[in-house]
Amino acid sequence: MNATEPNTKARGRWASILGDIHFWVPVAVLMGGLLLLRFIR
Amino acid sequence: MPPVANTQIGYATESRAKKLQLLGILSGFAAGAWLGAAEAPTKLVSIGISPMVISLIMVIGVFLARWSLPALILGTSSVRADVLRAPHLVIWALLAGCLWAVANTLTIFAIRDIGLSIAFPLWNSNSLLGILWGFLFFNELRQAGWRRLAGVLGGALVMCAGATLLAIASSSGHGPAAHSLNGVWAALGAGILWGTMYIPYRKAYLTGMNPLSFVTFFSFGELGMMTLLSVSSLGLAPLWQELLGARSVIFWLILGGFVWVIGDIFQQFAAKYVGISRGIPLSNSNQLWGLLWGIFVFGELHGRNSSIYLEVIGGSLLMMLGVGAIAFSSATGQEQTRWKEAAIRESDRYGVAADFVEARMDGRQLVTEAKPSRGALDWLLVVFATSVFVIFAAMARVPQLSLHWGPAALLTAALFLLLIICGLALWRTTRFH
Repeated sequence: MNATEPNTKARGRWASILGDIHFWVPVAVLMGGLLLLRFIR
Repeated sequence: MPPVANTQIGYATESRAKKLQLLGILSGFAAGAWLGAAEAPTKLVSIGISPMVISLIMVIGVFLARWSLPALILGTSSVRADVLRAPHLVIWALLAGCLWAVANTLTIFAIRDIGLSIAFPLWNSNSLLGILWGFLFFNELRQAGWRRLAGVLGGALVMCAGATLLAIASSSGHGPAAHSLNGVWAALGAGILWGTMYIPYRKAYLTGMNPLSFVTFFSFGELGMMTLLSVSSLGLAPLWQELLGARSVIFWLILGGFVWVIGDIFQQFAAKYVGISRGIPLSNSNQLWGLLWGIFVFGELHGRNSSIYLEVIGGSLLMMLGVGAIAFSSATGQEQTRWKEAAIRESDRYGVAADFVEARMDGRQLVTEAKPSRGALDWLLVVFATSVFVIFAAMARVPQLSLHWGPAALLTAALFLLLIICGLALWRTTRFH
């Protein structure tokens, strides 16, 4: 049980990050910024 | 009637909160001064170097400062401990660094296409977006009351108007090379990227991460993205050739990066203690300081007509008025309770100890936390960064520029005065926690 705990914890952390709107808003804006940079260059 | 002990605890908490608010406002002022001064060393650079290379060299200076300053102030053991408590925030720090690098590159294109006078006010709108994100995601300005809401929003708008006047004045006579819709998009894009960068900032500080720890990981995103953009834009071999060609001015650019980091650290403390809705507009007063350096040290407006001076005076007064309105609209007890609710939501979601989050919101350490200490690695980082600066200083060429040394000395003295006052206040109140 103890041996698998860190993996479960890490999986839970990633699930929390990927389900967090605070993560997706900056990611979407970054993608938009990179696209804009490509377009204007 | 509440017991006397409870009332005393209530007064102590309220007085601590007020102290932290004042500290945040002071940090915002210091951030504006240092971020504005960061533009000065770049003026010493002769033209002919690619803007992408200028940006990359400044980011290298930023990287050196972001690792050596935290090592000097608290030690890397403190950074390690912070990351172990909230490892998820490394992702947000990297994201924020990437956002900064793309925004900074966009500003270069914006200035090239539409000139500073149109570009600056467009990307300065980042503070308005910061207010929106603070309100939507972190309960900022909730239950703040109409007077404070109007103070912050009105202050930010007045600052934008002042920034527009200053930008028009500072760039008059140096019209843009070509008016282009691309430049408008680039400036707006930079504002949106910078405004959104404050989501990671606020998230980190609500969860208790020390600004000095956050900036170290931020720098990886910043340098990584900037290197990627430079290599993809110029190619590896031409980039290397440009860097070799620029070696006599590298010192001035990395010095600019170093000064910028000091301002940014104060900006991070402002975001921590007064939130992004107030901290960001306050540190946007950097334009005012940049203009002071431009006019008095580099003689930028020398010989221009009186209408430009009127624009400068009007713009400066508007900026000061906006800064004042925001500074006098500090968060009340009810709004701070809403901030705490947002912090509890974060600690629940990511399993960060609630007592740690609460202690860090109060700008103090937990009793169980180890005292920060510096080890061999920290001194190694400081010695390495110092050596890099000394090496490039030895190669540096002093540019042939007419500088007004008196105002330069006065502005530098003002910078150091703010550094000492704000640094001491942060140390006495929070020990940089």
